[in-house]
Amino acid sequence: MTDAGNRDIGKVLINAFALLLVLSYALPYVYLLMTSLKPAADVQQIPPSFFPDRISLENFGEVLGSATLPSAFANSLITAVLTTLLSLVLAVPAAYVAAQYRRRITVLFLLFALVTRMVPAVSLGVPLFQLLKTLGLLDTTTGLVLAHTSTAVPLALLLMAAFFEGVPRELEEAARMDGCTRFQAFVKVVLPVMKSGIAITALFSFIASWNEFLYALLLTSENSKTAPIVIAEYNSVYGLAWGPMTAAAVLYSLPVIIVTLALQKQIIGGLTFGAVKG
Amino acid sequence: MTERRFVYLMLAPAALFLGLLVAYPVGLLVFNSFFTVETITPDVREWVGFENYIDALTSSRIADSAWRTVKYSVFALGFELIFGFCAALLFSAIAEKSRWHRTIFALPLMVPPIVAGLLWRFLLVGQIGILNYGLAAIGLIDDPGDIRWLSDADIVIYSVAFADIWLTTSFVALVAYAGLTNIPRDLIEAARVDGANALKRFWHVTLPLLRPVIAVIIIVRGVDAAKTFDLIWIQTQGGPRNQSEVFSMNIYQRMVRFGDLGEASASATLFLIVMLVLAGIAYWKIWRPSHD
Repeated sequence: MTDAGNRDIGKVLINAFALLLVLSYALPYVYLLMTSLKPAADVQQIPPSFFPDRISLENFGEVLGSATLPSAFANSLITAVLTTLLSLVLAVPAAYVAAQYRRRITVLFLLFALVTRMVPAVSLGVPLFQLLKTLGLLDTTTGLVLAHTSTAVPLALLLMAAFFEGVPRELEEAARMDGCTRFQAFVKVVLPVMKSGIAITALFSFIASWNEFLYALLLTSENSKTAPIVIAEYNSVYGLAWGPMTAAAVLYSLPVIIVTLALQKQIIGGLTFGAVKG
Repeated sequence: MTERRFVYLMLAPAALFLGLLVAYPVGLLVFNSFFTVETITPDVREWVGFENYIDALTSSRIADSAWRTVKYSVFALGFELIFGFCAALLFSAIAEKSRWHRTIFALPLMVPPIVAGLLWRFLLVGQIGILNYGLAAIGLIDDPGDIRWLSDADIVIYSVAFADIWLTTSFVALVAYAGLTNIPRDLIEAARVDGANALKRFWHVTLPLLRPVIAVIIIVRGVDAAKTFDLIWIQTQGGPRNQSEVFSMNIYQRMVRFGDLGEASASATLFLIVMLVLAGIAYWKIWRPSHD
């Protein structure tokens, strides 16, 4: 056997092994999908089976027909959309000057955003509870949006600052030569070229809010409860209703996964570039 | 408009917001920590100085939850680093063909933590957990009932970390992969020419060059693991007998179940300080030397 032949076999083996590894990594989530498609009675059978014997939408019917989950999904969606919009409005202009005008104050500002990312949510949650209570915003969507935005803004700031660093300074200067003010140059010339960066930052802010659990648990009780809280409550209210719980978990997580798959290249870039550039 | 005014105006909204919703609450947190004050009546308060801190530092339940947080974080981070780096090396070995592998591998990144927690609870739980049936089928254990992952007080803190490891190994792998692709090929070639074997090349060339990347992973993931709340909460709510109660959960319980805002604030302040100090140390020790 030649050396090259050996290497080819080695390559095929490595490829096959890598594929096997990666597929087994996805297995737990596939099991969640399979379980949600079983009839409710089969979900807790002993011993468990990986694939459903019969496919049934019973679990999905139950959670979608329930009184709580559809409105919780609506709350989650509204909260996440408002959080995204608010964090973009706040973070994008700040990130622009932080990246393009290096001054002591902008450097300090980015450092502050970085430090904020280290703050444990529970440390902020405790006083936020008190603050929102004083403002009469406990258990309101507005209150939860404010809380979520406080974690989304630092994230959006750091992401956008990295994106803006790729914009040449001349862009703003050229626009100002043509008679724009600094602000007009920012809005009319710089922002349009940043569309994809803004879209990714928006998506990250959205997901941060959509996935958030602790603030929602602390700061909402009846009216503004989000989906993760209601899903978690399947524990106590229904005993261990695994069937509906898996269906709710699928409804809650699948949209995000599909969007991620569609935009995977940009998202993986966004997730990792900050780390690697550091 | 002068440049200076423009900078200030653009920064102002975000600065005001973060001031009101991050800096002010942190101030409030530290302030509350010096009082005896109840969660439901924050207006009624009594100054007690450092008493809450002394209580926190001498409470065995808090000390236990802190120690558990360390065990959980080290266990989770350790396996994430090992698995993540193995996956990254594998991906870089098959280079351009690894696109689909990486896509599938990235999926858990977008799974909400509470879904990951639920899922793993379902895989591990009592009679219906399929993992034990799998282990029994391949002969690693005799009976599916042999390991009680989530109800055995001795191992529960490690069992609840499985979900974390599954969820974030992909982050480590993708960051490490990006780091690996940034290493100049000729450096590794040069080492090969000098007669270094694969292991030596990895140890003496690849690993030192990845130092900043590893630092970032350890800081970001370490801080996240130490902050974990939802993932464990959804699996065990801290049980059995508080044996999976980590520090953030202890603070939550103190504030919500026991209604003790003062003590919860003291613990939360200590938590905040420790996290900032740890992140600072990690930054100075691991990251900076590579810039010299």
